[in-house]
Amino acid sequence: MSTSSTALLARRSIRARLGRTIAIAVAITAGVSVVVGSFVLADSLREVFTDLFDELSEDVDLQVRSVQEFDTNDAREPIDVTLVDDVRAIDGVEVAEPTLTRYAQLINDEGEAVSPTGGPTLGVSWEADAGIQGVTIKEGVPPEGPDEVAIDKATADRERISVGDEVTYLTDTGQHTGTVTATIGLGDTDSFGGAALVALDLDTALDRFGADGKVDTIDIKVADGADIATVEADLESSLTSTVEVITGEQVAEESAEGVNQFVDLFGNGLLIFAFITTFVSGFIINNVFQITIGQRLRELALMRAVGASGRQVRRMIVGEALILGIVATILGVFGGLAVARLLITAFNAAGAGFPTSATVIQPRTIIIAFLVGVGITMLSVLVPSRRAARIPPVAAMRPELGFGALERRRLVGGVIVTVVGLAMFLVGMFARPGGTQGLIFFAGGGGLLLFIGVASVSSTIARPVTRAIGWPIDKLFKVPGALARENVARAPRRTSSSAAALMIGVSLVSAAAVFASSLRTTFVDTLENAITADYIVTDDSFQGLSPVVAETLAEVPELSAVTPVRGISGQVEGDTKNFGAVDAAAFEELFDPDLEEGTIGGLSENGVLVHTDPASDLDLEIGSEIEVLYQNGATSTLTVEGIYGDATFGNWLISLDTLESVSDAPARDFFIIGKLADGVDAETGDVAVAAAIEEFPQVNLQTNAEFRESQEAQINQLLVIISLLLAFAIVIAVLGISITLALAVFERTREIGLLRAVGMNRRQTRRSIRWEAVIVSTFGAIIGIVLGTFLGVVLSLAVPDDIISKLAFNPTIIVIILIGGVVAGLLAALYPSFKASNMDVLDAIATE
Amino acid sequence: MDTPAPPAPPSPPQVAAAGAVDATKIYGVGDAQVRALDGVTVAFESAKFTAIMGPSGSGKSTLLHALAGLDTLTSGDTYIGDTYLSTLDDKQLTELRRTRVGFIFQAYNLIPTLTAEENIRLPMMLGGESGDAEWIDTVVTTVGLRERLSHRPSELSGGQQQRVAVARALASQPQIIFADEPTGNLDSTAGAEILDFMRRAVREYGQTIVMVTHDPGAASYSDRVVFVGDGKITGDMDDPTADDVLDHLKQHGV
Repeated sequence: MSTSSTALLARRSIRARLGRTIAIAVAITAGVSVVVGSFVLADSLREVFTDLFDELSEDVDLQVRSVQEFDTNDAREPIDVTLVDDVRAIDGVEVAEPTLTRYAQLINDEGEAVSPTGGPTLGVSWEADAGIQGVTIKEGVPPEGPDEVAIDKATADRERISVGDEVTYLTDTGQHTGTVTATIGLGDTDSFGGAALVALDLDTALDRFGADGKVDTIDIKVADGADIATVEADLESSLTSTVEVITGEQVAEESAEGVNQFVDLFGNGLLIFAFITTFVSGFIINNVFQITIGQRLRELALMRAVGASGRQVRRMIVGEALILGIVATILGVFGGLAVARLLITAFNAAGAGFPTSATVIQPRTIIIAFLVGVGITMLSVLVPSRRAARIPPVAAMRPELGFGALERRRLVGGVIVTVVGLAMFLVGMFARPGGTQGLIFFAGGGGLLLFIGVASVSSTIARPVTRAIGWPIDKLFKVPGALARENVARAPRRTSSSAAALMIGVSLVSAAAVFASSLRTTFVDTLENAITADYIVTDDSFQGLSPVVAETLAEVPELSAVTPVRGISGQVEGDTKNFGAVDAAAFEELFDPDLEEGTIGGLSENGVLVHTDPASDLDLEIGSEIEVLYQNGATSTLTVEGIYGDATFGNWLISLDTLESVSDAPARDFFIIGKLADGVDAETGDVAVAAAIEEFPQVNLQTNAEFRESQEAQINQLLVIISLLLAFAIVIAVLGISITLALAVFERTREIGLLRAVGMNRRQTRRSIRWEAVIVSTFGAIIGIVLGTFLGVVLSLAVPDDIISKLAFNPTIIVIILIGGVVAGLLAALYPSFKASNMDVLDAIATE
Repeated sequence: MDTPAPPAPPSPPQVAAAGAVDATKIYGVGDAQVRALDGVTVAFESAKFTAIMGPSGSGKSTLLHALAGLDTLTSGDTYIGDTYLSTLDDKQLTELRRTRVGFIFQAYNLIPTLTAEENIRLPMMLGGESGDAEWIDTVVTTVGLRERLSHRPSELSGGQQQRVAVARALASQPQIIFADEPTGNLDSTAGAEILDFMRRAVREYGQTIVMVTHDPGAASYSDRVVFVGDGKITGDMDDPTADDVLDHLKQHGV
């Protein structure tokens, strides 16, 4: 059949042009690997966590907990411990175990906090004889009474604590001591998913945790033979309406969901970079196909001359790409498993603490791998194959007549694509139709089109720009430099296509740089002008601070104003809002919220301060009343007492009294800010504050300047992480320049032979190729910086003012990127320059 | 120029295998305009080996390309058998090249990735046919390639490569074979071999061949020489010898 002839030709062509084949395959494989790696990593983590939570709630058939009025991350309202007796009275309930998890922290002999690497430190109640929580005793007996504790075996081993030792621990009620009676673990493991644990008996826990006779949940095991649904119904009908009963499966599901939200976020973040990598690969594949079709002009024309139809030529080229795409995708799937392992190792090295057990490959991952790998290859070859089909047969004898078919109407198409891409991007960023999906479609799709368009249009400026870049090289390196400059300028289209991949990587880094600088500048600006606090107290684990810390600091005479910042969510007219709660009188001293009307310090109980945006959205003015519904069912009517313009601390502010009056959930402060009293110098203040919080070793005390530095460092870190994630794409881009150049060297075999014959030495030959690569990569870097800076500005303007209100640029990073561009060129030139300088002169001249 | 001009389309003469009627090809515009073909009318008989001769730039290659349907004319027409090529679309031209025309070029005749045998079968493969096995066998024997069938072009000498090209042109038994300086890149021995094969194909199997050359020696293998100069037919000679051709060229001052 005719398909078999095209298939044969495609197969043969792949084998005959092995170098090019490998180069394209590497580009596809790399892209697919990163995509597969991201999926495998996320799926594996999801499975591990799901399994973990299934195991945890294995013995729990039912759970009683308080009702939540709407979905929120706020802690549920605790329930009365006396409910346990009511639950036990129900027929079919075999075990009813109250659970109570609060903050508790071991303190070592030096008075320092004992903290597992990054994990939370928890205190729990433990009813050993009833135990259905999956807690296992590694050594010893369960703690009983106020002087006994159990701790997790992992922490015990690390801190060299044995059963019988006395330990000090800190809770919301202060420091306590106890004798370790047992080391415990979860199932077979020695730890509790990375958390450090202090376990007390129920009465001790209620007392020491300051739980006020309330527990989080009551977990229930149903007696053998009793029907779970019946017990559930009995519980529902006999208990008060402020609590609900859910099944063990639901408990596991919800717990896993919480973690998986994080896994999803993490996995999707990785996927974005994976797709960027694939997109860059697509550019290179397209470029290589484009060039090789030019090189095979006579062969393709010959096929047309001996009777191949345009369609057959196209099918042959597409067939080649298809075979390549499939093989490279298969390799990419295996590569993806390696990438997943690598990522887990890398993140764990950075202290992420991911479990490494399972590697999950879902059929979905394989399908997406093929869609991406084969899809990107097919898309890349679409245009080149169409052009190849248009090569006239007469080109077999007169190749010069064939190149017309390979010409592209780039400018018009390129400009259209650029404009459409830009418009979509702007609409996506500013108008934001269609939520997250709209953002992906408009901003993401527009961004892709913009890159394609700019890559295409940049060929029109390639000649003057590269000539300018090449000028110093020409002056410095004489003949090789001049040759490099001419060679880059003589094929502006190819120059711009091969620089395009690098351009994309560089522009993303540049955009991130602008975004990060603006973020930092805005932040520093707020910190310097609006925040007048001298100290910021934060907590390194994500649990928040115990209210005791703020109370202690408030007692320090050297400080004139101290307030914790706490949060609660509440519904206003059906929409969930985040309310910040502060000590308003102190807050006024510590922060200038750009008050427009009303008061800050005079905020009363049942008063609220509103940012201008929601105020105008909801038509609020001083004296307006709003109804707020909280997750525990409580409601309050708040009166607007102030309207302000700086949203650093959020859009809604209430007093701590208001918060405490509506919620019994354990209080946690995000951070605490405080200010030196008049006349107290910084040194005295530092000493006094440090002494006051000595008994809370887990808190992190920073001065305003230190806080600013640490935040700046975090923003820089973010930029570094983004750059590292883009590294894959940039490596591929360098590979792309290398391939293009190697193909150019191959094309110019005769010319290079001629130069060598008339006396150019190997070193000069190498040098000429090397500088050619540097000019191309620098060109890509410059276009990338310009485009990326523009994108960064748009991005910065698009985010709300409370995150970024000032644009800033970072010249250092631009210089680093430019140097990186030159280095990329030098790396890309390694192979092609070696190839060019090692040509046999006679053979090269004899080449047609 | 005794060959009768064919009657007007659409019924080309049955005597000629191919020909051109008032064929004109103009490249460029304005002052840069070049008339590569200037109203050429010529016919080529079946089962004959015709050479087209002329100096560089005379238009002989353009004429050949137009005759073979590889290139289009500015005005006028060319035909193969009873088909006027201007009436065909690209698809029909492709079909015509595959089934009714054979080609031998000066160089780059073969697909580098295919073996000699695959190159010979290529036109048939493209049409999804296997061809006449017995005939292909005969062709392969005639050109003496049996030992080299599984070799790639890069493993063959220039002469062997041209033999493969001749075999490919013959294999599909086309109505007419066009050869463009087939011996231009070969030494005289290898060139003579190729020309001999071509002449045998005409004499023994009744193949029609039209060959462009500027070598009087090569032209002497043909049955008839058509001279081209400045885009026009300048002479026509039957049963030429190398000396006859040389004389003609001298007389016409080219």
